[in-house]
Amino acid sequence: MRGRAAEWLLPLSVLVLFLAAWEYAAAQYWLRPIQFPPPSRLASSFVDLATRGFPQGITLWSHAGTTIGRILLGHALAVALAVPIGIVIGSYPLVERMTSTIVTFCRSVATLSLLPLAIVWFGTGETAKIFLIGYGCFWVMLPATIAAVKLVDPVLIRAARTMDATPGIIFRQVVLPASLPRLLSGARVALGVGFMVIVGAEMIGTIHGLGSLIMEARTFYRTDITMVGMFCIGGFGLLVMFVLARLEAWLVPWQARQEAQQK
Amino acid sequence: MRAAYPLERYAGFIGVAIFLGLWELAARFGWRNPAIMPAPSETIITTLTVVPLWTLAEHVVVSLWRVLAGFALGASAGIVLGIAAGWYRPVALICRPFIEILRPIPPLAWIPIAIVWFGLGEPSKIFVIFLGTFFPVFTSAARGMASIQPAILRAARTMDVDGVKLLAKVAIPAAMPDIATGLRIGFGLGFGVLVAAELIAAERGMGHMVMEARQLGHFGVSVFGVFLIGMINLLADRQLASAIQLTVGRWHRF
Repeated sequence: MRGRAAEWLLPLSVLVLFLAAWEYAAAQYWLRPIQFPPPSRLASSFVDLATRGFPQGITLWSHAGTTIGRILLGHALAVALAVPIGIVIGSYPLVERMTSTIVTFCRSVATLSLLPLAIVWFGTGETAKIFLIGYGCFWVMLPATIAAVKLVDPVLIRAARTMDATPGIIFRQVVLPASLPRLLSGARVALGVGFMVIVGAEMIGTIHGLGSLIMEARTFYRTDITMVGMFCIGGFGLLVMFVLARLEAWLVPWQARQEAQQK
Repeated sequence: MRAAYPLERYAGFIGVAIFLGLWELAARFGWRNPAIMPAPSETIITTLTVVPLWTLAEHVVVSLWRVLAGFALGASAGIVLGIAAGWYRPVALICRPFIEILRPIPPLAWIPIAIVWFGLGEPSKIFVIFLGTFFPVFTSAARGMASIQPAILRAARTMDVDGVKLLAKVAIPAAMPDIATGLRIGFGLGFGVLVAAELIAAERGMGHMVMEARQLGHFGVSVFGVFLIGMINLLADRQLASAIQLTVGRWHRF
């Protein structure tokens, strides 16, 4: 019992001590408030941001809603496109070999380097941002789908064949359920990439969204808002990931059972 | 072993050739408007005529220097702290809260605060790349240390290997495969972050080149720059992978 308490108390006290030292150092003007606004300031800025908003009265919730909406839309489009293409590529080894170089290459193109191209193609509006998120998610989802289809246990397919199952039935009742866990974990990784990309994409040409919030706040010398915004991005990211993990557990209960059996 | 058909052996090349050929044809006969999507050949010609080779090389070298500096710092900090946190319980208890709070923040979200802390120069970019590398390396190093088979450590202890020697000769090599995976993830992230940081605030580097070319109306240069970024990232990742294969590959199969 003592061990458990220490496990909580030590990290907590270190954290509290750190915040107190930061607060004290800021109060003594050892730290410039423009660079390191004290924790008390951050807390009041958070309340301010949540109730009155920044810039032009856009509240934190509205920023977060915009950002998460963009991510989900781009992610959904990317998944909707990547899954069918990935299933086709993964089902034919020759196609897979022919495309593997292209897929590897497109994956290693840093998504945000496409920002200037996206601006030329779609302007600075919403479409460009959704395109960037979609690009980032797509090239994560596509290899995940290809791998998921390729890694379906051939014994399952052969077993279905011995039962005279048609290719359509094999696909719907064997390949799809067997690859679903990998597809879903791919979708989760892709969502993480979406969160990475959005912050950069929002730093240009918009005042809506968490990424623009922290950039705008910097230009107005409101470092406190920048910091609060950063932590909020992290917090919302965790929240969305958590929801997705729960969704995954609910959609593919057989995967959790399998993992439990293996342990 | 069955000899591969030529089609199978060169499938990758053929795929790329088909892709580039279709693109070239589409750009020449389909869109016609090079401002929307120039053909690959035009892209290269524009770049060579507009950007002097020396400037191009400078952009690449500046970017590579930044990413290597940030990666070296982030990787060494991540490895040292990760191993320490995986080996010494108090270090883990003290580090964990800070790292768990900061880890969910995407590296790009640090750009504004990095500019406030370090100004617009090199340190702010290197700092952001450092963060992009640090978190994955730390996490995988800590996980690698935690998942060492206890039997290995016990076996070493029976042979009177203990303390620092146990850490250096047994535990760290056993955790190396995980650390190596973290290094590759960290490098990829660091590279992506580099480009973004250069887009937003830089006067040199590949990301800046892509952005500047768009503003000057040399769209072909932007497209070329995107390909260059992908190429260099790919080559660097291959280089890192083979370096890992040569060292860690001696005692671990990836």
